[in-house]
Amino acid sequence: MKFHSLCLCIVVFVFATHSRTVPAREIDFNRDVRPIISDNCFACHGFDKGTRKGELRLDQREAATEDRGGYAVIVPGKPEESALIKRVTSTDPDLVMPPADSHKKPLDRKSVEVLTEWIRQGAPWGQHWSFVRPQRSTVPVDGVHPIDFFVQQRLVESKLELANQAANHTLIRRLSFDLTGLPPDADLVKSFPQSPTSQDWNRLVDQLLASPHFGERMAMWWLDGARYSDTDGFQADATRANWPWRDWVVDSFNQNKPFDEFTIEQFAGDLLPDATPEQILATCFHRNHMNNGEGGRDKEESRVDYVLDRANTTGTVFLGLTLGCTQCHDHKFDPISQNDYYSLTAYFNSIDETGAAGGGAKPYLKYKSPYAQRAVEEASALVKVTDAELASVQKQAEAEFVPWLDEQIRRTRDGFQPWTTIVPTRLATTEGYQLRREPDGIIASAPADFSQDDFVITVAATELDRISGLRLEVFPHASHTDGKYSFSDTGEFILTNVKLLVRKKSSAQIREVSLASAVADVEGVGSDSSYKSVRDTLDDDPRKGWTTRMKPSDVTHTAVFALEEPLVLASGEELDIVLMQRSLAPRELMGRFRLSATDQRGTAVRSLSPMPLEQLAGLQAAAGESPLDASKIDSELRKKLLGQFLEDHAAWQAAKQRNDLAKSQLGFAKKAADDQNVTVLGERKEPRQTYVLERGVWNKHGEEVQRAVLPAVLKMPAAEVSSRLELGRWIVSSDNPLTARVISNQVWQLFFGAGLVWTPADFGLQGESPTHPKLLDWLAVELMESGWDLKHLVRTIVTSQTYRQDSAVSAELLELDPENRLLARGARFRLPSWMIRDAALKSSGLLNEATGGPPVFPYQPPGVWRDQFMGRFVYQPDIGPAQYRRTLYAFWRRTSAPTFLFDSAMRRTCEVVPRRTNTPLHALTLLNDTTSLEAARTLADAAITIAPDDLSRRIEFLFWRVLSRNPAPNETDRVLLGQYNAAKAYYDKHSEDAAAFTTVGQLAAPDQALVSDVAATMLLANLLLNLDEGMTHE
Amino acid sequence: MQLPIPLVKSQAVTRRHFFGQAGLGFGAMALQSLLGRDGVAAVQGDRIPAKAKSIIYLHMAGSPSQLELFEDKPALTKFHGQECPKEYLEGKRFAFIKGTPKMLGPQFKYQKHGETGQTLSELLPGLASISDDVCVIRSLHTEQFNHSPAQLLLQTGNARLGYPSIGSWVNYGLGSENENLPGFVVLASGGKTPSAGKSLWGSGFLPTVYQGIQCRTDGGDPILYLSNPAGMSREARRKTLDAIRDLNSFEHQHIGDPETLTRIAQYELSYRMQMSVPEVMDISREPKHILELYGAQPGYVSESENAADPRVLYKGNDPTFANNCLLARRLVENGVRFVQLYDWGWDHHGSSPGESVDETLPIKCQQIDRAIAGLVKDLKQRGLLDETLIVWGGEFGRTPMMQNNVHKELKKGFIGRDHHPHAFTMWMAGGGIKPGSYGGTDDIGYYIDENPMSIRDLQATILHQIGIDPHRFSFAYEGLNQRLIGPTDEGRVVQEIIS
Repeated sequence: MKFHSLCLCIVVFVFATHSRTVPAREIDFNRDVRPIISDNCFACHGFDKGTRKGELRLDQREAATEDRGGYAVIVPGKPEESALIKRVTSTDPDLVMPPADSHKKPLDRKSVEVLTEWIRQGAPWGQHWSFVRPQRSTVPVDGVHPIDFFVQQRLVESKLELANQAANHTLIRRLSFDLTGLPPDADLVKSFPQSPTSQDWNRLVDQLLASPHFGERMAMWWLDGARYSDTDGFQADATRANWPWRDWVVDSFNQNKPFDEFTIEQFAGDLLPDATPEQILATCFHRNHMNNGEGGRDKEESRVDYVLDRANTTGTVFLGLTLGCTQCHDHKFDPISQNDYYSLTAYFNSIDETGAAGGGAKPYLKYKSPYAQRAVEEASALVKVTDAELASVQKQAEAEFVPWLDEQIRRTRDGFQPWTTIVPTRLATTEGYQLRREPDGIIASAPADFSQDDFVITVAATELDRISGLRLEVFPHASHTDGKYSFSDTGEFILTNVKLLVRKKSSAQIREVSLASAVADVEGVGSDSSYKSVRDTLDDDPRKGWTTRMKPSDVTHTAVFALEEPLVLASGEELDIVLMQRSLAPRELMGRFRLSATDQRGTAVRSLSPMPLEQLAGLQAAAGESPLDASKIDSELRKKLLGQFLEDHAAWQAAKQRNDLAKSQLGFAKKAADDQNVTVLGERKEPRQTYVLERGVWNKHGEEVQRAVLPAVLKMPAAEVSSRLELGRWIVSSDNPLTARVISNQVWQLFFGAGLVWTPADFGLQGESPTHPKLLDWLAVELMESGWDLKHLVRTIVTSQTYRQDSAVSAELLELDPENRLLARGARFRLPSWMIRDAALKSSGLLNEATGGPPVFPYQPPGVWRDQFMGRFVYQPDIGPAQYRRTLYAFWRRTSAPTFLFDSAMRRTCEVVPRRTNTPLHALTLLNDTTSLEAARTLADAAITIAPDDLSRRIEFLFWRVLSRNPAPNETDRVLLGQYNAAKAYYDKHSEDAAAFTTVGQLAAPDQALVSDVAATMLLANLLLNLDEGMTHE
Repeated sequence: MQLPIPLVKSQAVTRRHFFGQAGLGFGAMALQSLLGRDGVAAVQGDRIPAKAKSIIYLHMAGSPSQLELFEDKPALTKFHGQECPKEYLEGKRFAFIKGTPKMLGPQFKYQKHGETGQTLSELLPGLASISDDVCVIRSLHTEQFNHSPAQLLLQTGNARLGYPSIGSWVNYGLGSENENLPGFVVLASGGKTPSAGKSLWGSGFLPTVYQGIQCRTDGGDPILYLSNPAGMSREARRKTLDAIRDLNSFEHQHIGDPETLTRIAQYELSYRMQMSVPEVMDISREPKHILELYGAQPGYVSESENAADPRVLYKGNDPTFANNCLLARRLVENGVRFVQLYDWGWDHHGSSPGESVDETLPIKCQQIDRAIAGLVKDLKQRGLLDETLIVWGGEFGRTPMMQNNVHKELKKGFIGRDHHPHAFTMWMAGGGIKPGSYGGTDDIGYYIDENPMSIRDLQATILHQIGIDPHRFSFAYEGLNQRLIGPTDEGRVVQEIIS
């Protein structure tokens, strides 16, 4: 319906601008008529025999004009005798077409006029344009660029002409974004000739095409179509290692691998004679689909899904055909039957795969990436840097340690009490066990008949300033079964979980305090093997827990729990210590236990050995010396004491954490430098039989089919297209009418925001006709005849005057051609979100320009993966230079795509239509995302360095970096100076705000003396990064 | 909102073009998404008189057992513990059941309630208290018996990925009532989001602006990137936005592209959203008696946020779902079209601890029952129930047989049922739905024997109530006029349950 009204818009528009009456123009079947009958008639009178009604088909002239017993639906030349016109204009509800129950609206007057005139003109038919081989139209030889020739042809019809060339800086930016996805260096723009010649422009284009960033930019296009991701998708969403294929794509574009080779290798690199590892790697294209590992799912069902996904992706990306429709029935509009479709799937049906997800998704290629070593080196260098940072902090800390140690010696002269028994304010249980306090701090329970329970011990305040660890002692007692630990049949106990909850009195707010570790004197062997380790009391899983069964049962057992961060109870706060005993062994609950707390951190609460200060106290008691000479402390204890001191040293802890992260990144990189299991194609020995699947249901086998290419596209004898390799060759055959057009259109779309065919995924009967058919065909033929040379195609497009036009638009032109279909102005559209991020990195100087290698982890807000996975996957942003890599390399989790990409392809199924929308959420992302803010801070630092005392020069610097031009006087004087002054005045008064604002990403706050200046400048940079101009393809 | 004149004009110019071709997302679409109040359905002529203005959809992910909650089956009780007759097993596929399972009678008692005489189990006293406002449909059936595809079919009309969710369709079709809030909001409880994940509220091939926005309730930003960075006050942000507006206006004078005006409006909206979202999400503004009506607890942060296994929650009295119900009311009150709640933890197979029909289901019911009754009562007392459609249910039903792949015999705490696509129960309330019952099943609750209602029927009926013609309303994609109810016309509006 919607498509319908659009076609009318065009028709109306053409007529309106051309002449007042319909007949003045020759009706073109494909352009004017087919959309009307396709939209309104083909659902019941089209190619699909399954739904055809009244034994009438209107997709063929022969059938539509045949004699139906005294009348014909179409009588060429005689609209008044044609049943078609009678029926579509009938006011009788029983006769009118389309009928009411089709939910289609009656044809409007204009459509009827078109049909009438067409029949009057003899009802000429035509094959759908895209199924006819493209022909190159002749272009004059007088030096007019072929693209401009075709565009001008159409402009002349509308009495329009090409716009002036865009300003140099605009055009350089446009070229730079289009060919590399990055803004140009300010120097490049500044040094570019004022009045450039064609050669100057050509040189710039060649320079950009030779940049390694060209491949990265083009890869971003290809990855969306290939539904590339670093994980499987679905519930389990396991991580996969297909990133070497992503680098293969970048390399292929950079090497300008001919597109036919590029295609054949992705379809069947494994079947090429003497296939290289890279050729096999290429076939990962057809394994990038999602993998479903949901429990209870039939693997074969998943496998069939993957096979269909490959056929559908082939249809959308290469052929511009919507094959998905033919899964269930013959195509309603395009001449593709369900049989044709399943014959196509047969090429993908004999892959040596099982349908399993995760680590079972064979076939794999073991592949060592040439790009991983660089990542290892980068990570090693970062480890070195952070080692040095840590060492330097440590040196400082060790100096501070000396007076601290003296203080501790004084403090422990009269002994040291490592544990303080907890005095509970309340004892409670969930199910009903009764707890009571005994004089020695022991808590005892009475026997009861509940299988499980949770003991809740509430503490209001302690003698300690903070709590950093807890000790649990479990006592044997004569009253227990066999004198052991509980009243259960066995006398054993099982502790399943320990939880710490802080509640504010008279408030419902509860926060959980995380535990970092748990250790115990012994760990037993449970009657059920899942009960053993005290560590398992931390994981929230009641099916695992701590037991001391099979260990001595007449001694006190002890467990120590370390808090992640020391807890300081505010006034009015209470701590609930919840000891959950929810095992499947009935009534195995502690009969007598005691809880104590400590304020010591580190090894003191991560082992059961005496705490360092406890040892120090012991030493003093033994020596009897007063005071102890610090030099008499042996090196081992001294080391422990230093460790204890560092636990509370914030700077050291921060350096240590960075160092740990660097080491973990190095570990990740090293693993990536090993053999990677990349999912690829590989035939199984025995081919599978392929069937039509009734209604598309995976196990409802219909007729058996053999491998065959789509006859409506390009017929080939079965013997010549019997393998996947031959299918690949058929796709890029010079006789294939679709591929070259579809690909040229997608490339055009990259640089104009829209294709020459506005429905890049649908070149079929329901798709739009090209706005410039001859141009599209010329490009397609040029692509093929150049040997599928993509760089040549790109160069051809961007050296045209059509491409170089100014994008400014007058009110009249906007009224006449709001969507710029006629191309009477330059293309203006918002850059993709990934390009906006990359531009912020580049213009701030943060960008790490390295290519290839394992995925990286840019900033995302905390907790982004938590909702989905409950801690199974934790997102840890990278530190060091890995943080500033291009978005192409960002780890892509299918169920939780990078949040900073506010609109992008979903990477679930293939997509070739750009998603471009504007919501407040985009603005919020660009204003508040860490990358954007850190770029602003970095820009501010650079601006201040360049122009410490000259605000105008600073603004000029920022403009050049972000917008590649000088600021206009009204921009500086009327807006930015005032902004800066207001912000500076505010931050002068609120230096904490200035410090908070400028502490961002990996950057610490600047010197106190500079902080308000930096903050105010950073605010300007943040503002410039959010301008429409900066995020737009101008 | 007062529009600058050129914006209004450009909007008029571009609109008709936009509606023909929404796939490319040019300025026109942005204008529509930012400023459109009438929605696409009206422009396409696909609007019909609406009974409801907004929808609250309560999805119980995992699928609760209809046999413990709505289906009193004395015959099944009679066969309890006996082997399942062969005719129910032959040619059937189950997710987990192996061999010949035993029949499993309902585990809880039933009673009739209210003037409509609604049969409800003892686990739902809250629902019983509003039984005269509710239409219970005992004859739903689906084509899918695994969670992800069944959830996708239910909510996107297709078991495969890549299709727009019902909330996106409604948002796309009707536009926004309050431009300062997202039109389609998602809230999750139970410690986990449903298996099919974010695709359940994705916009598929519709423009991304129509996707559901998941509001986080864990104390952080309810919407990602909503807060200003540290050290940036609201006043400072205002000044920045003024400057951005001024510079963008220069740009517009120079270039003339209406898209630049869209950009200005987009940034202004972000500023207003920063204010309106936290306001509407703050349930502590509600009086105590309202909090008690739902059993809500402002500021509660679910333990499950950090839990490796949310089943630990099942002993606690987690108010997250109640909080979300109260939020849902606040959101629809403020003009949000579609509020989607997901509550995880209803997949009661009985094969491991914490997922049984006999012990876990009562706890899950306790977590939702009072809140749901509170929601319906609260909407009613505000006069909002008539214009708010509430839908409750899972993605399929559960078998009349006991699941037997782990425990062959009945064992306390391990009684469970497998997935059952052939018959299950949902209920609807408000929004022009006639209270009562619809449909029924055979003696043991295996097959439907009266008034079957398919997923397509359900979807058609929901769209109908919100004022969209389910058969006409479509979006051109991949050569087809795609609809929520799918390509065939088997889905029908179930007039029998409409008042």
